[in-house]
Amino acid sequence: MNDRRSRRDALAPVGFLLLVLIPLILMPLAAVFVFAFRGGAAEFFEALKAREALFAMRFSLLIAFATAAVNAVLGTYAAYVLSKYRFTGERALGIVVNLPVAIPTVVVGTSLLLLWGPIGLLGKALEPLGFRPMFTPLGVLLAHLFVTFPYMLGAVKPVLDELETTYEEAAYTIGASRLQTFRHVLLPALKGGIFSGALLTFAHSLGEFGATVMVSGNLRLRTQTAPLYIFAQFEAGNIAQANAVAAVLAALSFGIFFVLLRYSGRREGER
Amino acid sequence: MSIVLTDLTKLFHGTRVVDRVSLEVANGELFVLLGASGSGKSTILRLIAGLARAEAGTIRLHDRDVTREPPQTRGVGLVFQNYSIFRHMSVAENVEFGLRIRGTPIPERARRREELLDLIGLGGLGNRYADQLSGGQQQRVALARALAYEPSILLLDEPFGALDVKIRGQLRQSLKEVQQKLGVTTILVTHDQDEAFELGNRIGVIERGRLLEVGKPEELYFRPRSSAVATFLGSGTLLVGRCKAGEAHFGPLVLPIPTDVPHEDGARVRVLFRPEHVELLEEEPPGKLVLGRGEIVQGTFAGPLRRIRVRLAPLAATRQIAPAPPYGETGLLVEAAVPSENERIAGRPWVAIREWHILRRPAPRILVGESATAASEALTMGRILERALDGALTVLGVATEREKEEALRATLGQRMKDGGFPNASVRVRHGDRADAILQEQEENVYDFVVLGSEESHGDRLDPVIETILDRIVTPLLFVKREAARPERILVCTAVGEPGKADIRVGGWIARQLGARVTLLHVAHSGGEPPRWVRSHLERGVATLGSLDVESEFRIRTASTPLQGIREEETATSPGLIVIGGHGPQVRSRVAIDDVTRQVLRFANSPVLVVPENA
Amino acid sequence: MAYLRKRALVPLALALASFGWAAWPWFPFSRASAPPRTIVFYGFSILGEVFNEAIFPTFEALWREKSGEEVEVLGSFASSGTITNQVILGVPADLVLVSLELDALRLSEAGVVAAGSWRALPHRGVVNRTPFVILVRPGNPKRIGGFEDLARSGVGVVHPDPLTSGGANWAIVAEYGAGLREYPDRPDAGFMMLRGVWKNVIAQAASARAARTQFENGFGDALVTYEQEALWDRARGKLEADVVYPRRTVLSEHTLAVVDRNVEPAERPIVEAFARFLWSDEAQRLFVRYGFRSVVDEWNAANTAFGRVDDPFTIEDLGGWERAKREIVDGIWKARVLRELK
Repeated sequence: MNDRRSRRDALAPVGFLLLVLIPLILMPLAAVFVFAFRGGAAEFFEALKAREALFAMRFSLLIAFATAAVNAVLGTYAAYVLSKYRFTGERALGIVVNLPVAIPTVVVGTSLLLLWGPIGLLGKALEPLGFRPMFTPLGVLLAHLFVTFPYMLGAVKPVLDELETTYEEAAYTIGASRLQTFRHVLLPALKGGIFSGALLTFAHSLGEFGATVMVSGNLRLRTQTAPLYIFAQFEAGNIAQANAVAAVLAALSFGIFFVLLRYSGRREGER
Repeated sequence: MSIVLTDLTKLFHGTRVVDRVSLEVANGELFVLLGASGSGKSTILRLIAGLARAEAGTIRLHDRDVTREPPQTRGVGLVFQNYSIFRHMSVAENVEFGLRIRGTPIPERARRREELLDLIGLGGLGNRYADQLSGGQQQRVALARALAYEPSILLLDEPFGALDVKIRGQLRQSLKEVQQKLGVTTILVTHDQDEAFELGNRIGVIERGRLLEVGKPEELYFRPRSSAVATFLGSGTLLVGRCKAGEAHFGPLVLPIPTDVPHEDGARVRVLFRPEHVELLEEEPPGKLVLGRGEIVQGTFAGPLRRIRVRLAPLAATRQIAPAPPYGETGLLVEAAVPSENERIAGRPWVAIREWHILRRPAPRILVGESATAASEALTMGRILERALDGALTVLGVATEREKEEALRATLGQRMKDGGFPNASVRVRHGDRADAILQEQEENVYDFVVLGSEESHGDRLDPVIETILDRIVTPLLFVKREAARPERILVCTAVGEPGKADIRVGGWIARQLGARVTLLHVAHSGGEPPRWVRSHLERGVATLGSLDVESEFRIRTASTPLQGIREEETATSPGLIVIGGHGPQVRSRVAIDDVTRQVLRFANSPVLVVPENA
Repeated sequence: MAYLRKRALVPLALALASFGWAAWPWFPFSRASAPPRTIVFYGFSILGEVFNEAIFPTFEALWREKSGEEVEVLGSFASSGTITNQVILGVPADLVLVSLELDALRLSEAGVVAAGSWRALPHRGVVNRTPFVILVRPGNPKRIGGFEDLARSGVGVVHPDPLTSGGANWAIVAEYGAGLREYPDRPDAGFMMLRGVWKNVIAQAASARAARTQFENGFGDALVTYEQEALWDRARGKLEADVVYPRRTVLSEHTLAVVDRNVEPAERPIVEAFARFLWSDEAQRLFVRYGFRSVVDEWNAANTAFGRVDDPFTIEDLGGWERAKREIVDGIWKARVLRELK
């Protein structure tokens, strides 16, 4: 019915779109790279070699991997339970697990502190036991898990919902237990969703700032993530250092989304 | 027996989607469950597979009670309508899946897989994936997958529904071959009659959760037992007439009733003739069963056959069930099918029947007259009869005005539901109660009418009963007070012809209820009763004995018949008194007080009045 | 895993490689023999460089020499108000260097620091000082000579936010005190000075550092800030501004407190050793090199860049922080100046 408009027709609308996009999105992104290389490539790499910069990047990557891994398991499990079981309060639970997306990350950080911090509800009781999750890498991980949970859930659950029930039923009648069915039949069907979810989680964790700034304590070489490092360097007036790490983060994010797009594009093509 | 289902019941939000289904499938048999969409056939299959839980009943597979077992342990193979083969696995992996789960070693798995792929005609395609296969091929894979681990039962849920007609035909053939070769007990669920006829060793027809009939395809098609199956399978003409002296009367048409479908005198009889057994002739054929001369209403070309619908003059005292007469149609419609190569029939052909089939006697229809206010004892009695005779209960309410009919219908409907009569139908009329009851009886032809007393009339007879008694031709059961299931039935006989009807009806009820019968004759005081009285009673007992009813006779002496009956009633407390009515009375100014009326007025037990020509 | 296609191989390899690189330092065999002891130090914004580059390494070397132990001092730097809040919320700081004694008081009120414990330290806990100056555009186009010039019309002032920044409180006190001491017989001189300056404030930032960044990015004509900031940038050749020394201004004094709540008895010796180190000659000389004025005057001669302030006063001259906060910041600035300017 509606064929794509011919090239000539596209000129004006596309031109206008670019006019909006360029200053809004493309130029700020370009600015990061321009400023990073302002002093030349040598200074760029010098800035990256700084001890704190290296630590911040490594730490951010590690946290992102850990968040993606843990949430892959948790998110898939949650998607499975919510999709396959009927129980009272199902609707409410479904809303609750998606809340983190709606809450400002700073609020997340604050609430975590107020719960687990040394003066917090639970923290007060746990401190004498030596368990102090806040201001440690564990605290950062907790914050990131909280904030990125819905992304994994949102990527996996629709796939599960779409699968016709007879898919599993076939496996059951063949003799596979629930666990075997999950492993051999469901999990392979989910791998696309888990992969996209993991990438999304990874990307969001890399860039997480609001909650991290509250719970990390900003300890350099201990809990300072890359975004925190960038912010601190910027405030200190070390624009070049800040931009160097920012450029690396941006490039990494590009890479991730490029992979994500190619992967999902390929899946569409496969259909 | 491979599969035995007993009283299997499944509820869904209070509705019985599977209603007390009992079924047996023999080893190696290909059994087809045939029914319309939503009839519950797929649910039955899922219950057998273990994918749904039954509320009641048992499932035995190869002598093992699996009712509580999960699907994994039942040893069944299930093929779905949407194939549901695993899309991320190759064909080979799909087929092997069952063996892999069971830990079969790899070489064994490979061998079996090749065997199966060959068997279902997919040899060499083991490396393909679902998106590279056609629908038919995917279904074959599903079949192979289900058979790989040698299940003892194979279940197929409308397996060919999603495929093109040509492919369907091929796959049906393949399935039949494979099933016969492997000899695996199979149940196939479908709504397609052709499929059922082609594949089934036996067919079970399901309607609204109930298993109507089970039988070989030819039996069900040519000789169905119930009208539901008759109208469900194929098309045809179904008529309802009456049984008189062992013959079925459809207006002028008289057909003999075979001995395997006995009907009582006056009972309704149903006859079926298939379109291919109807002949349309230009001239009146001698020596053939003729329905009359008709006009052609419609002719449709259907490949090898031409379907023709003919309208004839209606037959007296005959109702038509199929084809369902359109609103306002008064004539008799007959479905005929003639080879399309024959010359076209024109004008007004004679309609003759080459073959026909008399259906099993239908379940007795019981009409209970209900009041608008409270549930009556009549309803309880009606229930007892319904159960005992495996009959169908209809409740009639009579509103004072037309406007109140709807409200009354709702009230009665609720009462039926609350009282546990979900299957009872409710009918509502307005006007005079006696007239309404009589009209209902005439229009819808019941086998029993059960009435209670609206108000207490003391010793006088309820005028409604009085009116009805004069004109009714069906047995009438009058219930005065709370009744229980009769264990003892008192049949008051006069000797001679009328007495035989009382004994026959009373005996039938007694057999269904498992009750004992006492034949009572009241003699005037004085002397030995005549010999022929005794022999009549003895023959009565013998007749009842041949109907498997325990009975005895008694001769009482009393000044009036009523007194004798009252005495017997007091002595034995029967649950039911059966007495003959008298024919239509001549109206006279003074009500003739005959024995029947006396009994109706004074007896305490329920009284069944059997009219003369019932 | 049969369902992993071949094309997943490259991205998977990349992912594994980056994970390996990220996790390397945490692997047990890549670590030094034994993890060093750590001291956690929280300081306010402008202290970042001097501590990270000079103080920490020097102390670590000294300690290694003296006791043979490896010690690692970890620092976190943000505005004074922020680090105070963080310490109260429970960050594992052993020591905290705040920009004004007021924040130390807050810490003691919160029970984190023993009340008044810093006064027992040398110089009442003051580690270093710096006067408050005015940064202007190169060439001083608006001819600003002192705080009173900031009140001229057409002058835009960049100022840190007193709610979070210790530096902002100092600036207010500097402006007020300068006015008061210039016109000692006019009781509302301080108020007038404050109002004049704040009439022209066009941008506020969360910390002194952030205010600096705003000024550098072209906001305003003048920035009231620590001398140290300007000197440090000039030393690195990055100062694109002129420094104007008002005739009268306040010397901000930065207080160190030991966070008693977080320091375990076993750690006390090393923590106190570090604290004492800050007043050692070596440390004070380092402060001077980085542009802070030492509490020991003789070291200040080493830095020729220190400008001359005719009338430097301290918070003591204004009655101490508690009084100054109450009367000057809350009483005059917040209650009167801000309200008038709304």
